[in-house]
Amino acid sequence: MTTDREQVRSLDDPEIMVQTPGTIFDAIPPLTPRTEREAEFYDLSEGQMFVNLGPQHPSTHGVLRVVLKIDGEKIVDLDPVMGYLHRGVEKICENGDWHHAISNTDPLEYVASMFSEALPVLSAERLLELQVPRRAEYIRVLAWELNRVASHALFIGWLALDLGGITPILYGFAERDEIVEMLASLTGQRLLFNYLRIGGVNGDVSHDFLSRLGDWMSRAGVRVNDQAALMNENEIFVNRTKGLGVLDRETALHYGMSGPPLRATGVPYDVRRAHPYSVYPELEFDIPVRTDGDSYARYLLHIEEIKQSLRIIDQVLHQMPDGPVMAKLPRLLRVPPGRAFAALESPRGQYAAYAVSDGSDQPFRFRIHDPSFFNLQAVRSLTRGHLLADIMAIMASLDPVMGGIDK
Amino acid sequence: MSAATTPAPPGVTTLGKIVLALLAVVVAGALAFLLLWVTGIGDALVAFAIDTGTANVEILRFVAAATGVLLFTVPAAFVIIYMELKIIAQMNLRVGPDRTGPWGALASLMAGLKVLSKEDYTPRGVDVPVFTLAPAVTFLASVMTLLVVPFAPGMAGYYMDLGLIYFFAASGLGVVGLMMAGWSSFNKYSLLGGIRAAAAVISYELPLILATFGVVLLAGTLNLGQIVEDQAGWAWNWYGFQQPLALIIFFIAATAEAGRTPFDYTEADSELVAGFATEYSGMRFGFFFFAEYVNVFILSALTVTLFLGGYHSGIDIDPILGFLGVNTPVEMGNIDLGSLGPWLLGLPLLVPPVLTLVLAAFLWAIKSSWGALKSIVVGFVLANLLLGAAITIWAFFSFEALLGIAVFFGKSFALVALFVLMRATYPRVRIDQMMNFAWKWLMPAALLNIFITAAAILFVREYLS
Repeated sequence: MTTDREQVRSLDDPEIMVQTPGTIFDAIPPLTPRTEREAEFYDLSEGQMFVNLGPQHPSTHGVLRVVLKIDGEKIVDLDPVMGYLHRGVEKICENGDWHHAISNTDPLEYVASMFSEALPVLSAERLLELQVPRRAEYIRVLAWELNRVASHALFIGWLALDLGGITPILYGFAERDEIVEMLASLTGQRLLFNYLRIGGVNGDVSHDFLSRLGDWMSRAGVRVNDQAALMNENEIFVNRTKGLGVLDRETALHYGMSGPPLRATGVPYDVRRAHPYSVYPELEFDIPVRTDGDSYARYLLHIEEIKQSLRIIDQVLHQMPDGPVMAKLPRLLRVPPGRAFAALESPRGQYAAYAVSDGSDQPFRFRIHDPSFFNLQAVRSLTRGHLLADIMAIMASLDPVMGGIDK
Repeated sequence: MSAATTPAPPGVTTLGKIVLALLAVVVAGALAFLLLWVTGIGDALVAFAIDTGTANVEILRFVAAATGVLLFTVPAAFVIIYMELKIIAQMNLRVGPDRTGPWGALASLMAGLKVLSKEDYTPRGVDVPVFTLAPAVTFLASVMTLLVVPFAPGMAGYYMDLGLIYFFAASGLGVVGLMMAGWSSFNKYSLLGGIRAAAAVISYELPLILATFGVVLLAGTLNLGQIVEDQAGWAWNWYGFQQPLALIIFFIAATAEAGRTPFDYTEADSELVAGFATEYSGMRFGFFFFAEYVNVFILSALTVTLFLGGYHSGIDIDPILGFLGVNTPVEMGNIDLGSLGPWLLGLPLLVPPVLTLVLAAFLWAIKSSWGALKSIVVGFVLANLLLGAAITIWAFFSFEALLGIAVFFGKSFALVALFVLMRATYPRVRIDQMMNFAWKWLMPAALLNIFITAAAILFVREYLS
């Protein structure tokens, strides 16, 4: 345990900046360490220094703060600090009724919120043992897959931007903007859709949406292909991502990771196939898997997944039946008592909720499993010993969304 | 006179106030001039100025050249910033600036004014003198290198026999400014940026200088003006064709030296926030910003000078003129009109209408909202401006200078465009990969190039001549 650190005053003390500006270089944290791990981490050796990466750093994807202990450019250790976006979503959900939970879980996954808002919907439907109209299921799958393409297109751009390439992010946004405009015509919102309902969806597909979708499908993925053409065989990009942040299968499973980071290690786990929900069993698509487990494999996996999503959208458009889009439900929804676990495959992995109902119109407990949180755990073991620039490539390839991590 | 001295009556307009003030200044000036002339002090002052000037003409010339170069870099940087905004916008599926000026051409000027008018903040804890001096060092170091680059025949700031050495010495000073900024900023990101600049620029300066040795061996001089003169004639006389490896090494090292993508390690925005410039604001940041673009232009200009023929167009005009029946060399000042023949004499007459129509057609093609008449009127104005500028240069310098400037800037800005395209295309190289590349690939290749060039020169001298 370090004793001399106790003499360093808090950085919140206004005088410390005036009198001893030099202390700022070794005063993280100003408080006495709480655990052994903290004591070990915040003990600097010769030639090392701390760098606060975030929460307002341009490339931490939101408000993640990473305290880096660096030796020159080399990362000796790091300590992710979370909670800057904490709202207590689980508790908010438990204080409102089941319908309110939909809009409350919306901003968790703010890049692809069609997935996080499905959590209360799916879990309540399990508890109610409700048969959702088939047209509604198809519309849900359509919206999910569109949102997945939008999210993956942005992932590719982000990865490039964190590596210093400025063009792919704008291609990604061009693709995403078109999809988001489509979804706006379907749901009325561009970012937080609030579209799924317990027992169906809020409104049928419109003519405007279908004509936009048909137009888009005829040239879907053009921008993604442009991104791939800029990056796939770019010597600099490949050199910077290949063999970087290699995860093996056991570590990934040990951390409870899911989604593309897990599938890049060779585990073909996709909730859509492993624990089928909605109408996914009726649709034909593959689960792309890679075995390298590095950043480059994760990147390539995203491009392959976009192609599979386009396949699904094509089938959905051809197979969508007629009929109602909303099941008949009482206005005051009292969910029968019980426990339900609902999971779905979001662009970042398995998004799941464990809901307990006590028979009232509010969930008694609503626990959310966010894939970004579990994927982000690997950052420390992946980046130790690498250079400062590598943490961007590794973190971008794990694709965390801070809304879900901080909840 | 009485109108100027009487106080302005109440109710005078704003314009009236300005006119009256100007009138007062003119009258006072005239009185002072009369007084000086009558007493003879004025003549003595003028004579003294002329004497001092003629005695120190070299110093005066140097100061004038340095000032000219300094003033020149400002519009050059504006043009490059505008090019960057527009070209990258096209690659990024954006429109780019289109509000200020025609096609947003004044956007970079407005950005400059904005930077100028912003608060110049000095954070607490910085090393104030070093922090204040750092942008000036960086900016002046990059500007002063331009002094030895010949823009056209007879148009260089300073013909120095050690021109190339001076160039590298001055441009090497720029990294001192970056290190000063990184060290004095009291910010860890700045510190990392400054250290990266020091490490990488020193690594890349070696291949940059070694790549030029082949050219120096071939030319036998370090005087940039002489090196350009050696590349006169057809394009295959350019050293780029005799030293292709050196050209490639030089261009890559120049990219790293200017801190441009894929080697923008010093201000890597996704890693180091803004690197050495993190704590700077206002015009001090503007100087760093300017220095980067001036560096891009200067390294392009040096690449053109050393490898791509400088101000020579790559077309040997003498045989063509001889074929047309004109005796060479042509003295454009006192040309014998009789020797031109009717066709060649008619050619200059065609220039204004053809230029007007070409510009009008171009404008009409790219501006869908413009009618034919508007295009022709704007084209006529543009053609007049261009011709006016050209004739001014012709009158004050020479026809060769006019041609040389056009060719030189055409080539330089083509290379700048290549820099810009690279920025829009590539991600950033990691610092260790960058160092590996410099020391394991560029350095041996540059040494090999020197060895081969020297051996070839010896071989030619010994056995072929």
